[in-house]
Amino acid sequence: MISLSDSSHEHTRGSIAVSVQNLGLTYTTSIDKKPTLKARLKSLGRGKKFTRRVEALNGVTLDVHYGTVLGIIGSNGAGKSSLMRVISGIVPPTKGRVEVYGSVSTLLALGVGFNPAMTGRENVYLGGLAAGMSQAEIDGKFEAIAAFSELGDAIDAPMRTYSSGMFARLAFSVAAIVEPDILIVDEALSTGDAKFKEKSLNRMKELRTADRALILVSHALATIEELCNEVIWLNKGQLMARGKPAEVIAEYQKFMNVGKSASSDEDV
Amino acid sequence: MSQPVVVYEPFKAGLPPMREYLRQLRHRRAFISEFARSILREQNYGSAFGQLWLILNPLLLASVYYLLIFVIGGKADTTRFGHLTATLFLFYLIANSLSEGAKSITSGQRLILNTSFPRIMLPISAVVVALFRFIPTLIVSFVIHAILRLPYSWEMLWAIPILMIAVVLAFGQAILISCINVYFRDISSMIPYLTRSLLYLSPILFEAGKISHSIKKFEILNPIFYLLDSWSRVMVHAEAPTAKGMLHASIFAFTIFFVGTYFFLARERDFAVRL
Repeated sequence: MISLSDSSHEHTRGSIAVSVQNLGLTYTTSIDKKPTLKARLKSLGRGKKFTRRVEALNGVTLDVHYGTVLGIIGSNGAGKSSLMRVISGIVPPTKGRVEVYGSVSTLLALGVGFNPAMTGRENVYLGGLAAGMSQAEIDGKFEAIAAFSELGDAIDAPMRTYSSGMFARLAFSVAAIVEPDILIVDEALSTGDAKFKEKSLNRMKELRTADRALILVSHALATIEELCNEVIWLNKGQLMARGKPAEVIAEYQKFMNVGKSASSDEDV
Repeated sequence: MSQPVVVYEPFKAGLPPMREYLRQLRHRRAFISEFARSILREQNYGSAFGQLWLILNPLLLASVYYLLIFVIGGKADTTRFGHLTATLFLFYLIANSLSEGAKSITSGQRLILNTSFPRIMLPISAVVVALFRFIPTLIVSFVIHAILRLPYSWEMLWAIPILMIAVVLAFGQAILISCINVYFRDISSMIPYLTRSLLYLSPILFEAGKISHSIKKFEILNPIFYLLDSWSRVMVHAEAPTAKGMLHASIFAFTIFFVGTYFFLARERDFAVRL
């Protein structure tokens, strides 16, 4: 779901949108997926470890300017999602500083905050409020959201009656209609059918304007190369390279020891 | 634009910047009420029968307990029934806040992982759900009061501060337990035993003045003992609560609220990586 931090501001191409300075993120997480008091009590005195320390980001410094579509690539566990979450304020950094010069929307997953027991219409409001929009803002955009979703009368049916495609269409519509200064997208487009993917990709292209910055995280290297005008490559929490998409992707592929076909094989 | 709109830095002393946090909380109050409504809708309380069940359920419970008292005690009067219903309804506000609050963070996993917002909104929403469920029973309390011809007086206005203390306690315990449940997921399954114990140890099935001297000294340890006693005095007997009762209830409620809130705020940065 999209998350909107503030209302839009005026910008010029080339002015700074996001400044990431010596960013570090270290956290402690539990080893068990669902830690319990029972397990903790049972292993008292056995010296068993329950938590592990993860260094997700280390000394990352980068600036993103308005007019830029920045792609972030890297293998699993490279720190891509962690970087997105710190820039969008979901997780606070443990070192360094992030300065954001505009309203931020995060599209990290579709349908966050939606309740299947409620109608599509009610979920537009619920999802919008979850994203930080006001009731009046949602009122103003509702018709556009409903039209973009192409749900017709089904917008007033409970969402539990929706197909997965209808669910994805409505969720993306709520997210796509907002026009933020900085849009952060993390793999959200990799769901839904081919028509939905095409529609969402087209919407992403529409959002590429001079007074907006887009940050896109994806494993789909072909999409990154098509949409972005700049790419960074992260590995084990560190910034490995930054530059033109084709160059950075080639460097990444060489490092990962995969052929060119890997990028085109991956889904959008 | 020369000045950043938002700056994210490491938390000082482990706490988020409080001024911004409270501003965000205020800005998002519409979401709290909409989210609470969506939970109620999910639990079928949006329909007429669902709302009827909100009233019928505590009434049926009160009737069962009244029958139990009558069978065991051999006698029970109308005041006893009034006391039982009034205290049971308030008890359910506390118990529902605890059980709804416990799972509020873990069930809000997708929101926490994908959206930036004050996490405390989730346990607050859980208490709002419990309050929505309590309001119809409050109306039923007044109807029962009239049917049983229980006394009325201006002292009944004490119900307002007592209810406010109960709400502070409900917020505090929901916030605290929601945070603990992130670290120990089986805590929520222990809550039914905790609430059942509290039910029997609190002045609900009995009146506070009727417990034996040998166990009376332990009543101070029960955070809701004096709260329920004060509620019964006000709502059933139309008397003012005792100063000791109000002080005890307030100290417990505000202590749990402040300790719970501090603990939650100090830990909430972990939630996105623990869920």
